[in-house]
Amino acid sequence: MSKSKQRSESKAGEAEGPDGGWGWVLLAAMFISTSLVFGLMRSLGIFFVEFVHYFEESAQAISWISSTGLAAQQFFSPLGAALCNAYNTRMVVMTGGFLAALGLILASQATCLVHLYLTMGLISGLGWGLVFSPMVATVMANFTRRRTLALGLGFSSIGLSSFAFNPLFQLLVETYAWRGALLILGGLSLNIVPCGALIRTQQQSKAPEKVDSQSRSSCADVLQRVSSYLELSLLFERPYVTYTLGITLFNVGYFVPYFHLVAHSRLAGFSEYQAAFVMSAAGATDILGRILSGWFSDLGHFRLIHLLSVWTALAGVFIMLLPVSSLTGSYAALMVISMLYGFCSGALTSLAFAVVPKIVGVERTMGGLGLLQLIESGAGLLGGPLSGFLKDITGNYVASFMVAGSFLLLGSLTMVTLPHYFSRTDPPPPQRRSLVDKSKSLHPELQQMKSLPSDSNNQTAQHSGR
Amino acid sequence: MKLLWAVSALLLSCWRTNASTAPNIITVPSVVSNETSAALTCNLTDNNLQIKGSHWTHNGKIIEGTESTDSAAWILYSLDKITPQTSGLYECVFLTDPEVKKTIEVKTLPHVSAYKHSEHGNENDKGAMSCVSHGYPLPTDWIWFKVEDDDSVPQLISNGTSDRFEIKSTPNKTTLTINELSIEKDIGYYRCSGTNELGTHSDKIHLRVRSRLAALWPFLGIVAEVIILVTIIFIYEKRRKPDEVNDGSAPLKSNSTSNHKDKNVRQRNSN
Repeated sequence: MSKSKQRSESKAGEAEGPDGGWGWVLLAAMFISTSLVFGLMRSLGIFFVEFVHYFEESAQAISWISSTGLAAQQFFSPLGAALCNAYNTRMVVMTGGFLAALGLILASQATCLVHLYLTMGLISGLGWGLVFSPMVATVMANFTRRRTLALGLGFSSIGLSSFAFNPLFQLLVETYAWRGALLILGGLSLNIVPCGALIRTQQQSKAPEKVDSQSRSSCADVLQRVSSYLELSLLFERPYVTYTLGITLFNVGYFVPYFHLVAHSRLAGFSEYQAAFVMSAAGATDILGRILSGWFSDLGHFRLIHLLSVWTALAGVFIMLLPVSSLTGSYAALMVISMLYGFCSGALTSLAFAVVPKIVGVERTMGGLGLLQLIESGAGLLGGPLSGFLKDITGNYVASFMVAGSFLLLGSLTMVTLPHYFSRTDPPPPQRRSLVDKSKSLHPELQQMKSLPSDSNNQTAQHSGR
Repeated sequence: MKLLWAVSALLLSCWRTNASTAPNIITVPSVVSNETSAALTCNLTDNNLQIKGSHWTHNGKIIEGTESTDSAAWILYSLDKITPQTSGLYECVFLTDPEVKKTIEVKTLPHVSAYKHSEHGNENDKGAMSCVSHGYPLPTDWIWFKVEDDDSVPQLISNGTSDRFEIKSTPNKTTLTINELSIEKDIGYYRCSGTNELGTHSDKIHLRVRSRLAALWPFLGIVAEVIILVTIIFIYEKRRKPDEVNDGSAPLKSNSTSNHKDKNVRQRNSN
């Protein structure tokens, strides 16, 4: 996958920063590691049947395992970002891969349910958190004009791998029993480590901050350093807060179809097989949407933020149309709307991450990604139970889909309040405000990108694509 | 004349006595046992209540299509095929005030099926095999056998056979749990057999015991592959470093700055 230098050089005339070259190798690394994080997480359902049978616990207790894992991944994202800013991205990702594998290996020896929460949930979740955001930020830093396409290609791995992993995991569990299967999964997760090793080590720009030996003991200085690693200053900037709010609103509604589409289809009178097929079709168009939207966005005809608003509004509309289409009883209508929804939700995923550098500036992308993951995790936790609650009250899924769609539209409207929304070109990224001399505290790659004159620096939006 | 009055009074009183007894349903047949098909009939006699309709129920649930508003006192339900699914308790219900109903039992051989026909277990772990039964009446006895390849007589397993075996049985489900599975002793076919008053039915399960190390070999293979990849990547990078600057990185940084930073806590990639 190593691209020759000629390709990046031919574009050097208009490229503002790195775009290709080693970036393609990193993209492959991101493809593999993202599939081993989210693709794996999505396919853990195969194990739940085994766990319920073996541990004789309720399905709800078992489902906490994956909830803990996802929550840990999102919660530790800022930690991963901070560690990358403070230390070496390569080491962080390799450590994350090792931890994720360790969690699964230890889980294979579990003798009670709590062991699974701690190993598969906490340790692996911590590992995943240390892998995902840094990997995405690194890829974004290595592409400029084709950033969104790269992200789209990278995130398509999630859908593709969950197609492949489901039968694979089933086979592993049948052949080796769940303990052996978890052990082998731990080994597979260990493949994240070479992916991390591919990240070229850069000189750490924040290292000078640690030179002041007397500041080590000073509490205030330590706090100030930590807050700069975590990019906490972002929380005080209106564009970032607005954007994060918008993404959080998306997340409330975004997952509802994944949770409830099958149940809703069954309720509308379709068979189990038909309902499952609708989900698969939506998943397939999701993958397509990610790649196509990435390619289209990079053509540069429109600002990324405008495209994001359009896709999100469309996705919201289609979610609201879902219950309407099945009311007529037509399977074809349900299929079409679901596929359109899948396409839009995939399309917005690529963009949502790509918009972040435009808002916070490329050098703060790492920290911005981490914080965004953390804040939007609350939305995911809210969305599922809320729609379930609405279904319990009203007796069908119409209300919950309507509410989910409206959250997406609300998020879209929030985006409109971003500064310079209606201008034709992107505004320049805000400078980081800090007491320390900022010229020394930049990632080398990111500093290079910043130093090149361009107003179309794609500010990658952080969006968790799952 | 007086005799005629006395006799008619006697008859009248007898008739009124008859009328005040409860309505009676005659079911033909009252029990269906070991048949392939049957026609269930209910005949409502001694009844002076108005019949507003009737229906049949199967195991408590109303059978669709049998609901009628006819005031017939004789109703029929035909069972074309008696299978474990269609066996059970059938009730004919006459919609009088109050309702009158009677039960007909449709009995059949039990149908025993294994939860999974192929079970796996890890060595020294516990392995569980389950069988469920459908049909009416549910088995009263469950027996487990171990079938050896060469033996013609299967071995009987009960709770006392060994302290490793545990059998838990309810009328519709039985589970055999073996603790501390051993590869030599426990691999093979097991038969669960359920018996009710009409007969016996059984099913076979194949138990496979994986050695604990079975998954270890693929795992070690993958770990070896990962170590090799990481080594190759590091070696490749070391060889490239003297030749060219890192791809796409800033020319602003020079080696001198990197050495300067070397003093700090940051970890180099050369370990």
